[in-house]
Amino acid sequence: MKKILVISIVLLLAAGSLWAAGKKEEVVAEEFVATEFEIPFLNCLTGPIASIGEYLQWGAERAAWEINQAGGINGVPVKVTGIDTAMSPEIGTVEMAKLSETALVAMGPVPEPVIMAAMPIAVRSGLYSFTATTSYEYAMQFFPWSISWFSPTDKKLPPVVTAWAKKNSGMKNVVQFVENYGAWPGMAKAHVIGLEAAGVNVLKEIEVPTDAVAFGPLVVKALAENPDGIIFAANAEKVAKIILELQSRGWSDNSKILVFSSADDGALYTTGGSNINGVMIYNYVDPGLDTPRWQAFREAFKADHDGMEPFSLSPNYYDAVYMIKRAIEETGVTGDPAKLKEERILIRDFCNNVENFKGLFFDWSNENGVPKDKPLFLFEIQDGQKVLVEKVVPTNK
Amino acid sequence: MEIFIAQVINGLSLGSIYVLLVTGFNLLLLVAMIIHFSFPVVVVFSMYMAWIVLGLTGNNIFLGVAAGISSAILFNIITAPMFQHIMKKRGEVDINSTMVLSMGLGMIITDFLSHSINSGFPIAFPDNLTGRAAGPFIQFGLISMSRGAFLALTVGIVFVTGLFWLLYKTKQGRAFRAIAEDPNGAKLVGLPILKTGLQSYALTGFLGGSTAILMAILLGSASPGLGDQLGHKVLAVSIIAGLGNLKGGLIVGLSLGILEALVQGYWTGTWSNAIAFVIMLIAILVKPKGIFGMKL
Amino acid sequence: MSLPLYYYLAIASIYILMTWALYLPYRVAHLHFMVVANMAISGYFGGYAATQWGWPFGAALLAGMLIGALLSWLVSFGIGDAPTFAVVIVGFTFIYITKTAIENWDLIGGTMGMFGIPMVKNLLLYAYLFVLVTGIFIYRFDHSRLGRAASAKFVDKDLATSFGVNTKHLGMFLQTWAGAIGGACGVFYAFFMNSLFPDFFTFHIIGTTMTMLFLGGYTTMWGPLLAAPILWGLPLILPTSIASWRQIIYGVILIVILLLRPEGAVTRQFIRKIQVKLKLVKLA
Repeated sequence: MKKILVISIVLLLAAGSLWAAGKKEEVVAEEFVATEFEIPFLNCLTGPIASIGEYLQWGAERAAWEINQAGGINGVPVKVTGIDTAMSPEIGTVEMAKLSETALVAMGPVPEPVIMAAMPIAVRSGLYSFTATTSYEYAMQFFPWSISWFSPTDKKLPPVVTAWAKKNSGMKNVVQFVENYGAWPGMAKAHVIGLEAAGVNVLKEIEVPTDAVAFGPLVVKALAENPDGIIFAANAEKVAKIILELQSRGWSDNSKILVFSSADDGALYTTGGSNINGVMIYNYVDPGLDTPRWQAFREAFKADHDGMEPFSLSPNYYDAVYMIKRAIEETGVTGDPAKLKEERILIRDFCNNVENFKGLFFDWSNENGVPKDKPLFLFEIQDGQKVLVEKVVPTNK
Repeated sequence: MEIFIAQVINGLSLGSIYVLLVTGFNLLLLVAMIIHFSFPVVVVFSMYMAWIVLGLTGNNIFLGVAAGISSAILFNIITAPMFQHIMKKRGEVDINSTMVLSMGLGMIITDFLSHSINSGFPIAFPDNLTGRAAGPFIQFGLISMSRGAFLALTVGIVFVTGLFWLLYKTKQGRAFRAIAEDPNGAKLVGLPILKTGLQSYALTGFLGGSTAILMAILLGSASPGLGDQLGHKVLAVSIIAGLGNLKGGLIVGLSLGILEALVQGYWTGTWSNAIAFVIMLIAILVKPKGIFGMKL
Repeated sequence: MSLPLYYYLAIASIYILMTWALYLPYRVAHLHFMVVANMAISGYFGGYAATQWGWPFGAALLAGMLIGALLSWLVSFGIGDAPTFAVVIVGFTFIYITKTAIENWDLIGGTMGMFGIPMVKNLLLYAYLFVLVTGIFIYRFDHSRLGRAASAKFVDKDLATSFGVNTKHLGMFLQTWAGAIGGACGVFYAFFMNSLFPDFFTFHIIGTTMTMLFLGGYTTMWGPLLAAPILWGLPLILPTSIASWRQIIYGVILIVILLLRPEGAVTRQFIRKIQVKLKLVKLA
């Protein structure tokens, strides 16, 4: 009898608490119904990298448009709002400070100088922001309030460089051009690890001055070492100019030139033209992928940009918007300002450890804010297009 | 030895850019008493104008070159009244004001180029202008000199010689300098101020436009920040040589090119700019009026 | 206080101080851009001292000022009496050298930058106290015999010399103080931003502060005080489509002010008129 009584009381209490919890939810739902999910994007829409900012913004807005066409997030429309920092760290601080008071989640900032200035404010106010175009080494400084789109540089890059070296089996001695900016010297070190793994010797690192206008001296210095391969970790325009200078001094085998991902932008192709045909380049997305989703993205981008192929980082913020959608849907985030703090954390924890996220190009999972299984792609440049040569999946170990 | 010669030739080719720019800068000082700090930015602007016309006309070299030169002349003539307005009150401080005015013009041009032309991406000039397809002018092993470099160097020397002759040996040149140094005095002796003033601005514009074309041939491309990158060095070269000293500009410009090439070739790339500036700093501190003396 | 207002005021204090750092040497017609290098050097020093040695903010600030003053003082032996263009190029040189040194020095973060500079309570208050103290110092200077000597040198160096003004010592004095203010700015900046990046301290600061100086007016200390918060706030309140032309707007303002009102918005006559209106001084 006593047992029955205890069980009854426990059941009653459980039912009561469930009812109470349900009732509470009902009350809240009655109190707040989101009419729109706004995702602010701290971007550079003006200033020296305005065009790149527009390509990133385009990717994010494309995702929002697709989501809204398909019925929104839990039936609520989503809007990406571009906030311009003009690449100024100072403006970045004020804009991030504004977001820290109201935003549920944010995207950006871009690029590194603004990240450095504005992310400490996001961390301080508990706002989760998608730093989806910077390297792991910057994003990790602000964990768990930032997310890295890439795995650690010294883990992700060596395999693709090794793959390039193995494609050129006769190549034994390589010279590397390195420009001293941001994470590039770190990327250059990762290249060396990859080359050594393939048994290739790095003869010399040629430092590329940030404001160099002529490249003869650097090229003579490089060629004096008699290399049979060249690898680049420098700005796109400079890479193209150095390749032209190399060719004018007799370099003919473009397949033995490898360009790093950060130089994969318009300046490489507009400056290099057909002279860079055959040059190898690695990046994180494969524009040749034949899926309807990517092809639709690609065609839409080309239509909006005079036939230009999509910028390689545009898909990052496209995917970020989708990741936020999934986080909101799967964690039951309401957008209620009264629950701002908790819901920010819900999104943060979900995204930092997302499983099998369906990106534009591939599925991936995160562990503590870092992707576990994202591939890299090695391409050959042909008439301004990248033709896939090999897909490489690095491990974080 | 081969590498050393190759690097010296590289240095001469880089130096020829400095020579062309510093000559235009000095000319503005001599004929208009303007410290046109952003003169290299104006030159880059003309490169962009040439590029636009080349694009519109299916790479018509003649029209492209004409656009480059005429845009520089026009820009000079349009901005001339601003500088003249400031120069009404003479003295050291007003020369500073021309420098600040020039910086303001530079800010506007650079931002305009990065906003509005080619989405801010660098522009590349067609092979029929640069002559790239025809191969280098000289080539022995690593020793190489492009046709553009040879042309720029030759024209640089011709410009310096020609201007020296024009300014110091002809009546017209004396008129230019007289108006720059003392407009009221020049007026009193009956010099046609407006006509001569316009001629001097047109001349500097012509020099700037020609420099733009030569740089397009030599470098093959341009970006919005190119003018700023060169501006600081051009001012430094001009000060070290002695403001307004054409011959000094030629020697110091070429020397700086060779110095940079040797530092980059034999020592360090990332520090090369800083090293060049340290050496220039020492030269300025030791000889504030320039190695070859001011010619103002 | 709301966080956006906090950061607006924080950066405004930096711009006021930096424009004053330019204003002081410009009293003798020196555009002393070296203060930007002072800002970077002292900022990095302060950041390093705080993160690695655990220095409190006050100690970092003091050291930053001293370093800034010392460097500017040493250089002023060479350029204390030099023509403006020489002072300008020396400033550019130091900016290049400093940036290169920072980028190549892994100890202070190299190209990656410096992270984790601690937050300081009441930092904004300290910044404005510093603005106040600096303002009082500049006011006292402007109204002293030295201030009048500087004005004389600005107009006519030879005349000033003939009146017994040691123009070199005056230039050195002003450049040294400008260096100290630039150094202090760097430390404040580092602690406001909580991180540092080599590109924080480059030529964009010159363009902005120079516009502030010339728009506000370079003949009185009130010009920069007025122009810095307005010009810095302008891109924040303008719609993006207009704010995107910020550098062009700054350039146009600079040119228009040079042509129409060469001494800037706030001139000595203007201040005097206000003083007369407020009956602070009698009409002469």
